[in-house]
Amino acid sequence: MIAIDIEKKLHGANGELNLQCKTQIHTGELVTLYGPSGSGKTTILRMIAGLSRPDHGYIEADNHAWFNSQNKINLKPQLRNIGMVFQEHSLFPNMTVRGNLEFALENSQPKKIIDDLLELTELEQLQHKKSSLLSGGQKQRVALARAMVRKPNLLLLDEPFSALDFEMQSKLQDYILKVHQHYNLTTILVSHDIVEVIKMSKRVLVIEDGRIKKDGLPADVLPLDNLRSILNHLQKI
Amino acid sequence: MIYKIDNFKRTYYAMNKIRLSIAFTFIFLVTQAEAQQSNKILIAAASDLKFALDSVVNAFKTKNAGTIDVTYGSSGKLSEQISNGAPFDLFFSADITYPNQLKEKGLTISDIYPYGVGRIVVWSKKINPQTEGIKSLLQPSVKKIAIANPAHAPYGKRAEEALTYYKMSEATKDKLVYGENISQTAQFVTTGAADIGIIALSLALSPTMKHENGNYYLVPENSHQPLVQGVVLTNHAKGNDLAVAFLQFVKSNTSQEILRYFGFSKPQ
Amino acid sequence: MLDFEPFYLTFKLVTVTTVILFFIGVPLACLLAFSRSRFIVILEALVGLPIVLPPSVLGFYLLLAFSPENAFGKFLEHHFDIRLVFTFPGLVIASVIYSIPFMVQPIQSGFRMVPQSLREASYMLGKSKLTTLIKVVLPNMKSSLITGCILSFAHTIGEFGVVLMVGGNIPRETRVVSIAIFDEVEAMNYNHATIYSTILLVFSFLVLVSVYLVNQRAHKVHYLS
Repeated sequence: MIAIDIEKKLHGANGELNLQCKTQIHTGELVTLYGPSGSGKTTILRMIAGLSRPDHGYIEADNHAWFNSQNKINLKPQLRNIGMVFQEHSLFPNMTVRGNLEFALENSQPKKIIDDLLELTELEQLQHKKSSLLSGGQKQRVALARAMVRKPNLLLLDEPFSALDFEMQSKLQDYILKVHQHYNLTTILVSHDIVEVIKMSKRVLVIEDGRIKKDGLPADVLPLDNLRSILNHLQKI
Repeated sequence: MIYKIDNFKRTYYAMNKIRLSIAFTFIFLVTQAEAQQSNKILIAAASDLKFALDSVVNAFKTKNAGTIDVTYGSSGKLSEQISNGAPFDLFFSADITYPNQLKEKGLTISDIYPYGVGRIVVWSKKINPQTEGIKSLLQPSVKKIAIANPAHAPYGKRAEEALTYYKMSEATKDKLVYGENISQTAQFVTTGAADIGIIALSLALSPTMKHENGNYYLVPENSHQPLVQGVVLTNHAKGNDLAVAFLQFVKSNTSQEILRYFGFSKPQ
Repeated sequence: MLDFEPFYLTFKLVTVTTVILFFIGVPLACLLAFSRSRFIVILEALVGLPIVLPPSVLGFYLLLAFSPENAFGKFLEHHFDIRLVFTFPGLVIASVIYSIPFMVQPIQSGFRMVPQSLREASYMLGKSKLTTLIKVVLPNMKSSLITGCILSFAHTIGEFGVVLMVGGNIPRETRVVSIAIFDEVEAMNYNHATIYSTILLVFSFLVLVSVYLVNQRAHKVHYLS
């Protein structure tokens, strides 16, 4: 379980933003952080990852302190054993697909996990291709597989499919669900796409102006007047 | 599988390239620390000796084994370099004051041997200095006059003195072009950068300059301080037998003849 | 009969200088690219100085520093029996200082061009900053590294003022090709000067062409539609 109670002052394009976030994410949940651009949802994710530093507060994972401003604790991202999928530009262009996955291996880890992941994400045919030669969708699939190599307990995804077309998004969302179930993960997904949110998660945190405005089931929490467009979208699937 | 080997090879070659360059670097730096050998000498010589000294060195080499390197330049500059630790074994100066100064600083290990007296000449391809002598410098077709830099080149100083003696300083001062040493000065005139110049007799008599089809006028000695030239062994030559042998050779008849041929007269 | 020693010396100087500069330049460029301290601008300005200063200024200060008549030079001579004026090692030091910005600045830009998400992805995979630097960042900025090496190489080949002041014109020790050419012109051996110059020109040109060729091949990207 992840317990968060953090504050951070951000200077954005629209002026200052006071981020305040207090919540708990239970083991095995697939939670979405939903909100418009600039609401602070990516920053919250980065703070959980350890890539950004809160001004005050604490972040605890299963009662281990990852961050505690009072006790001056700030665990490096390297040590938090988190799998993270970035929006883009995160595959290492100088390595092949397989190379990217092998890079993630820890010292004494057996290589079997790589073949399992390649199978799970249906990347076996592409494993020896240079990662810079892949399509966007293929790249994000590799990024997902790579994030899982170290068998993390927590998976963080920062709008991983926003740059892709609808079909590809759909496919990749299925991969995430597959991986989430297969490895018993806790997953936090950042998204600004309502359809994605409804499909993927049973719990949504709506972030606005740096605060959690709502927390609950997608149907309860998301703006109802969008229902028609949602239905239209869903019909396309 | 193929890609695995390829990657390995690439890393292997890259690593080896890096290792090789590091190895090279170390080898080069280390070989610089080699001890001084006693069968090579490094000579600093005034530029007016360019051809004369080359001949002397060649003559010496016919009877002696070893490496002899010469660096030519203006006497003042070379003297300065020696004061700053330049590794020259012998210093041939166009003005005996410089070796004297080094001796006073305790940087020499032998007496100063005056190997000759130099002369200045007016040299030009464009006009014949023989016709009007020193007054050739005042001809209207003369736009640029080359002399060596008086600050550190003895021939330049003497040229300046001669101009003062003949009361031509004012008339010529805006036309003067300074060469870093007497050799460069000569080069200014042969390439036409200057129309006329005051250079060393020894250079005017050299095969290279004779080929340039110029003419020269020997400037009378009474118009300037004498160009007494001297050679000395520096501290760097301590224990260097070849250097001592060379200095001996310079005093020999063979060398003296060569020097006379290039216009250096016997010192009084 | 042409003396080929200057070529050997130039080659030695350029190789040694470039290798040393590479190993100094990468960490320095890394520091300049990622430091968030306000005082880093001082270091940056120092690194950029050799571009702005006339070579004679640099040569002059180095001559003062290395001369056995002054404190530092005397110290070196006394305790290590090392002399840096008019010697090849002194020339190497002068060349390294003189060409620092030409190695550091391209690499600095190179670091900045590698997407932050690449580094962050590596950290999230548990890799240390050093491992990330060596296995992720550097391999993905090869063209900047190559550019830095070429520019330093070219700049060192063309050195004259600094070499003359710090190295003098000592055959077999500091008479590199640029000095030798000047020397031959002074001695009116125009033939020799021409040969030196032509060989140097052709060689430099060939090196540049081959490096740019390699760089071009490394950059061929195939796009999927």
